[in-house]
Amino acid sequence: MKISCLQENLAKGLATVGRAVATRSTLPVLSNILMESDRGRLRLAATNLEIGISCWIGARVEEEGRTTVPARLLTEFVNSLPSGQIDMELIERTQTLNLKCARYEANIKGIDPAEFPDVPTAESLGEPGGLPLQTETFRRMIERVVFAAATDESRPILTGVLAQFYQGGLTLAAADGFRLSVTSADVGAELDETAKIIIPARALAELNRISGDQEEPIQLIVTPTRNQVLFHLTNTDLVAQLIEGNFPDYKQIIPKTYNTRAVVNTQELLKAVKVAFLFARDAANIIRFQILPGTELSPGQMIVAATSAEFGDNVSELDATVTGDKIEIAFNARYLIDVLSVVGTTEVALETSTPSSPGVVRPVGGDDFVCVIMPMHISR
Amino acid sequence: MSRNMREPKSCEDRPRAILHLDLDAFFASVEALENPLLAGKPVIVGGRPEERGVVASASYPARAFGVRSAMPTSRALALCPEAIVVPPRHRLYADYSRRVMELLHQVSPLVEPASIDEAYLDLTDQIADWEQAVDLARQVQHRVRDEIGLSSSLGVATNKLVAKIAADQHKPGGLTVVRPGQEAAFLAPLPVQVLWGVGPVTARKLADLLQVSTVGDLAQIPEEVLRAHFGRHGSAMARQAQGRDERPVVPVHERKTLSQERTFRRDLAQAEILEQELRQLSEAVSQHLQSAGLACGTIALKLRYADFTTLTRQMTLSAPTNDALLIYQAALAMFRRSWERGRPVRLLGVSGRRLSSLVGQLTLWGGSNEPD
Repeated sequence: MKISCLQENLAKGLATVGRAVATRSTLPVLSNILMESDRGRLRLAATNLEIGISCWIGARVEEEGRTTVPARLLTEFVNSLPSGQIDMELIERTQTLNLKCARYEANIKGIDPAEFPDVPTAESLGEPGGLPLQTETFRRMIERVVFAAATDESRPILTGVLAQFYQGGLTLAAADGFRLSVTSADVGAELDETAKIIIPARALAELNRISGDQEEPIQLIVTPTRNQVLFHLTNTDLVAQLIEGNFPDYKQIIPKTYNTRAVVNTQELLKAVKVAFLFARDAANIIRFQILPGTELSPGQMIVAATSAEFGDNVSELDATVTGDKIEIAFNARYLIDVLSVVGTTEVALETSTPSSPGVVRPVGGDDFVCVIMPMHISR
Repeated sequence: MSRNMREPKSCEDRPRAILHLDLDAFFASVEALENPLLAGKPVIVGGRPEERGVVASASYPARAFGVRSAMPTSRALALCPEAIVVPPRHRLYADYSRRVMELLHQVSPLVEPASIDEAYLDLTDQIADWEQAVDLARQVQHRVRDEIGLSSSLGVATNKLVAKIAADQHKPGGLTVVRPGQEAAFLAPLPVQVLWGVGPVTARKLADLLQVSTVGDLAQIPEEVLRAHFGRHGSAMARQAQGRDERPVVPVHERKTLSQERTFRRDLAQAEILEQELRQLSEAVSQHLQSAGLACGTIALKLRYADFTTLTRQMTLSAPTNDALLIYQAALAMFRRSWERGRPVRLLGVSGRRLSSLVGQLTLWGGSNEPD
């Protein structure tokens, strides 16, 4: 293999595939990045067997070939180089990659690419088409649900995001047992039938990270074996193992009524919660809310408070439009920060019924998003 | 300058008064308290011989036959055929232990439990004159006997090392006092193994290389020589041989982990049975957490194969819990990922780490009624 490319492009490509590199694997080759010539371009690929990312960068291929090299060393070396052309040549016999850039030269020892697992691409699947999803809409949907998925694997199904397709539209839902986030939108998909898949939340989070520059629609392809999903971007493919099983019935969790509803300015509330979190983070993240209806003379109020036995306490007040009864309820500050950061509307509503029933966060002026957060029980 | 002339407030100069208390044949004594028919008889608390059990504790009448802790029960019964074997009841012992520790707290706030049946107390601030520590120790011994019913052996000295060794000298029911300045002389005739970190291997090395067998012999060896042979450990030995130990008594405020483990009678290799064991261990951890009003943020799994290869894995949960099912699910997920299917397992353990007082994060599906 003899290939030349620009340092900027290689560094960017390595950053794209880098997050799929296995960090703690018993299989040494998974710590490597696959590099191969692919029709006048250089393909980079990495996988941790849960997700795999391939990325193509412009290159001048003088001699075809492929190898795998340690991801960390290669990435750090390339990031240290001046911008300009990098010439790479593989010494086949020793699987050593020779790199030259300006006055730098290195030889990096690789592992036989035959040991590298197959990372499917849209092309290898023979389905360059797939289901096109409007990138901006889809990215915003992902942002609104991924935080609610479980990060521990005690219940694997909850580490996934349920994606339900219906005519033209898509619903995404994620829940970790303490909160649930559901969002729906028209993603412009032309699909006649309904379909359901559970995609690892981590794969969607990575998709959002690598699709910032994507303008064309993202193509979604489910492999013929129905156990993998592939997202095809202009120069990048991300493939992930689908999660098998039945996602819990989340619809029954979303309360249909409430006793108290408070509407506040989203940014003001986010700020008050972040301030309270400074005190709450030493006390299991508990922040307490007092919601007081207004009177003829004064507007309604939302009072946000947190207490740390060791460091002190804090109280913030917000004006609120309150309907229903007054209530006191406590939540994990982290959960509120997660949802308030992605609501996206000027005002937000918090609905609840009792101190131990679910709190529902909804954007005001949109019914495309709802987040249910279970409160914390405070014994006093 | 004589000690009496010193100002009582010069804390730095004043020798500390450290008490070490060791409950005699603790488990066996508790069993005898609970069942008076066992009193005065050779009693062995431990696993059954046919189940590879070992002796956890033996009463003094049993010890007279040579029965010792950690000995296989089968061997203990060979030495003392009339011994009565009682299965251990750890929850009961924990309860007695807690009562003893509470009593000790009434004497001094500085109590460091060293194990379920041992504790250090710093009495320095409770007394004006060092001799009063001896009276206080005697009172403690009487109260543990009269109020709880247990016999204990005590050592009083100026530091933890000497106090512990002193407590070991006259068991059961002894009270051994080593007055300030007498530490080295007290230790001198004792074998070097009484010191911390001196096991059979080090002892043999000391005898072979330096003809040292007692602490007194050891005290004659210059520190540089010990350091040359044993490195940093040599310096520690030299300090101990002089009866010096500056470690403070550290009261323990909170537990860091809560664990349950089980060594199987026979090595197990069947997935369903191991998972069943895992469920029981998880339930026990959950029960202990709940009774202590605690939740854990991390679950750890310990797995020991028949050949003693041991692995531990841990998982941090989204929110602290003491729910048996959530603990089991986490333990099971780790077990399925780490166990080499079919390879015989000798021991399984489940523990809760990062303990916190229970804060009630309510769940979407209401407690254990989770889906899937």
